[in-house]
Amino acid sequence: MNASLAFTAATKSFGALRALDACTFTAEPGRITGFLGPNGAGKTTAMRAVFGLVELDGGAVTWNGRAITVDDRARFGYMPEERGLYPRMRVRDQLVYLGSLCTRSTSAVGRAVDDWLGRFDLTSRADDRLDALSHGNQQRVQLIAALVNEPELIVLDEPFSGLDPLAVTNMSELLSEVAGAGATVLFSSHQLDLVEHVCEDVVVIDHGRIVLAGDLEELRASVPDRFVDIAYRGVGPDWTAVPDAELVDAADGRARLRMTRDVDVAHIAASVDQAADVVAFTYQPPTLSELFRRAVQP
Amino acid sequence: MSGVRQGWLVAKRELRERSRSRAFLASLVIMVAAVVAAIALPGLIDGSGGSRDVGLTGVTPAALGDAIAAQGQAVGTEIDVRDYDTLVGAEQAVRNGSVDVLVVDADRLEWQGRADEQLEAIVTAAIQISAVQGRADAAGMSAGDLDALLAPVAVDSVELGHVAGRSPDDETAAFIMTVVLFMTIATYGAMVLSGVVEEKSSRVVEVLLSRIPARSLLAGKITGIGLLGLGQVAVTALAALVAATTISDVDLPAVRGSVLLWAVVWFVLGYALYATVFGALGSLASRPEDAQSVAGPVSVVLVLVYFVSFAAIGSPDTTWARVIAWLPITAPIAMPTRIAMGAAAWPEPVLAAALTAATIAGLVVVGGRVYAAAVLHDGPTLTLRDTWQRARPSHPARHLDGSRPAGIADSSTVGDDGSDGTSVARTGRGKTVAVALVAALGLAALTVALSGDVIVGVAVGTATYAVIDRISTAWGGPNEPSAPGPPAERGTEPTTTHNT
Repeated sequence: MNASLAFTAATKSFGALRALDACTFTAEPGRITGFLGPNGAGKTTAMRAVFGLVELDGGAVTWNGRAITVDDRARFGYMPEERGLYPRMRVRDQLVYLGSLCTRSTSAVGRAVDDWLGRFDLTSRADDRLDALSHGNQQRVQLIAALVNEPELIVLDEPFSGLDPLAVTNMSELLSEVAGAGATVLFSSHQLDLVEHVCEDVVVIDHGRIVLAGDLEELRASVPDRFVDIAYRGVGPDWTAVPDAELVDAADGRARLRMTRDVDVAHIAASVDQAADVVAFTYQPPTLSELFRRAVQP
Repeated sequence: MSGVRQGWLVAKRELRERSRSRAFLASLVIMVAAVVAAIALPGLIDGSGGSRDVGLTGVTPAALGDAIAAQGQAVGTEIDVRDYDTLVGAEQAVRNGSVDVLVVDADRLEWQGRADEQLEAIVTAAIQISAVQGRADAAGMSAGDLDALLAPVAVDSVELGHVAGRSPDDETAAFIMTVVLFMTIATYGAMVLSGVVEEKSSRVVEVLLSRIPARSLLAGKITGIGLLGLGQVAVTALAALVAATTISDVDLPAVRGSVLLWAVVWFVLGYALYATVFGALGSLASRPEDAQSVAGPVSVVLVLVYFVSFAAIGSPDTTWARVIAWLPITAPIAMPTRIAMGAAAWPEPVLAAALTAATIAGLVVVGGRVYAAAVLHDGPTLTLRDTWQRARPSHPARHLDGSRPAGIADSSTVGDDGSDGTSVARTGRGKTVAVALVAALGLAALTVALSGDVIVGVAVGTATYAVIDRISTAWGGPNEPSAPGPPAERGTEPTTTHNT
């Protein structure tokens, strides 16, 4: 279990509420791991445990197979769910300060900050107070604060929350880049569909328990269910009549059928093509949300 | 990456960010100017050693001018005598202040305003003497015999004050020292409080604590702000020392290097004591508005300490004055003024300082634990009791995910019931104004009673009100908008988005 973040039977209770219940999973270097689950599932508690902000009642969080030390954390980056920086401090000063808490070389931090500010078109705002920036730019500064020490592990709590579609794309590209450079990336989200295409690995948590963990494509492929999505023109036929398939969802010009992976897709395609003026036809394993529902409904 | 180095980085940030503010520079300049003025002005206004001008006009004995100068010399006052040809010109000189008193026809004194009793006595005596000289001449007495007969006798005048070896001016200096110590301890302590609350309410504390230990953050913050305060106190003390030594007419045993050094030491101790308490209490508040309610009691204590230390200056030999100079809570303000009044025997300050330092060490342990347990909590404002229970190793429950263990919810204070914080802040503000007014009036009256100086009394009262007002503003603070973040989703029912 080298160069990775590992939770081993991590357990944490707040009074009667069990926030983490024997959670075991890993996040591997060079990969983006999505830490997914509904609000209140325990994601934030788990992420805070990585940084010693929560003391576990039992179990352990390890980095490269060892207990995490203060020195390790100097090479971690963290963007908390509750974003926060000094509102009245200048942007560049603030980032250099936060970066220098992790490393000995102030000049290297200064260069890294300038690079990131340039990349986000914030160079002209470097000497402005943070609260003079727009909400979106403040979010960018917050992200730079998490990345400024070139972390080996970056933990982002709900990084996609409140972002517009373009910003979601930019964020996922950035995460891919960071992971591509060899870092371990762990981010959380409660919006499973939004991040389905961002993660390579997923860890799904519900009520403090890990219900699903592993390579997303593997997980999807291993489930027996398959889905066919159809877009068509004109009047829709009776989709329940398609053999070997079950109608899941039907709307104007769209239908979604479920079948098992043994069913011959060519056969389904032929009967669908016969029944309607088909515009699009896709065959795929379940979405992340469907995997989640399968996992939490025994 | 040691905690000490990180703590130093925190301290450097506090120093840099706060010393940049205009408010800090303004307060530094004002304090230095006020202290120098307080030391220098009495000497300049009093004029007991300064030169005075006396005008003569009308029918005047020839020897009167010399007699006035001789009488002045006898009491240590240099007097310039000028003759005026016309009464109109002479009176004009009185009105525009170039002459302090005009002697008309050697039998009337004219002043611009109220008569200066000392000068009046000098001039009157000189008139009597010159009249006697005139009559002696007429009686045929020789000039030499007469001079021997009338040679002025030097008379010393001494102000004993309340304490042996110290004058009323020394008492005034000790009063000012009390004001400066109280102001700086209260102001910089309040800065620690508002700084902790700002970091907590803006949520930056979570980013910081993911990188450095809580104790490094708190220690660094207290150190940084303390160094800034130390700078201000040291500069003020230095200015006082320079003013006291360069202005030759001022003789104040209370303003001496050793006394001022002790004042600086006691500032450090007092600040460390109160800043630790303020820092720990600040971590309990979730919003800037709540800071006042959590730290209010400490501010009341601090004002009381100021009050009793003030009262002790005039009577340093009473039992209660000795007691408050030893108690760690009151010692930081009471002991240095006691030293300034020369009432503290040699080992006393050292032992009291050791006692205070020991108390600080205990507070650092307790305060650090409270801070670490409370500063990441994101519910309503905590109470000390809850926090202490949470800080105990046997109860490590830190409900960070918005879930509250039963029992904490019930005993939480402001904001728990969703009552609007503004009305709380407003009534708090009204209370502060009332407290500040009462304290200011009380202290002003006390000062006037003890020092007999109305101007100092007014100054003390005004300063008291200003300080209390300033502290309350620092606590109530402008409602700092919290840094960017999505609306809190805490407490919502667990739901997943299944929008296929």
